[in-house]
Amino acid sequence: MRVFQFQRISAIALLVFLTIHMTVVHYPPFHIDFSRIIDRMGQPLWKAIDIAFLFFVLLHAISGSYAVLIDLGGVARMKRTLAASAILLAIVGFVYGTLTILAFQPPV
Amino acid sequence: MYRSTGFVSFVLRRLTGIALVLYLIAHIWVIGSVNGGPELFNSRLAAVQTPIFKLAEVALLAAVVYHAFDGIRLLIVHYFDVTEYRKSLFYAAFVVSVILTIAGGLPILLFAFQG
Repeated sequence: MRVFQFQRISAIALLVFLTIHMTVVHYPPFHIDFSRIIDRMGQPLWKAIDIAFLFFVLLHAISGSYAVLIDLGGVARMKRTLAASAILLAIVGFVYGTLTILAFQPPV
Repeated sequence: MYRSTGFVSFVLRRLTGIALVLYLIAHIWVIGSVNGGPELFNSRLAAVQTPIFKLAEVALLAAVVYHAFDGIRLLIVHYFDVTEYRKSLFYAAFVVSVILTIAGGLPILLFAFQG
């Protein structure tokens, strides 16, 4: 699969996830704090939705950044190193992001 | 060439994309603080909810909305045989983005400055 195909697939998924995220988290605007977020994030379904959202955000952001860097020409000969770094960054980001999402636990 | 809608959309797509990646890094820094406990999370979140950050949030909204609608435009051009409408679709994506930024940005600013 080519980089632009990753971009297209993740873009379609993000249109759905971002609309949900903006509607649920940011509108109408209000002061956000832990107690407000935990109402939603205490539920396993929202955690699963946010992990899927994270996956597509990282896929889109990292493959997009990779495409922009490759377009710069001068770095095109480091394509393999860049691709390996992008994959590593995506894995680290996904693990850290997932652990963060799972860390939202209601206080006992 | 530099005045063509194709070039303008190419540049805007890249600029908004880079801005969104930089925002993502900041977002991870803020949300990741939950790993240090609710107190740290609340203090870091409070630091980015001042009026100046609310203004930046409107700029962020503009970047997100434009990037999304430009993406929809690209998908339409790619999957449907509408290349002759490429220019009109660019203007349409731009106008819709401006309208949605105003509609979405006003409540943010009203909340930030009036509470």
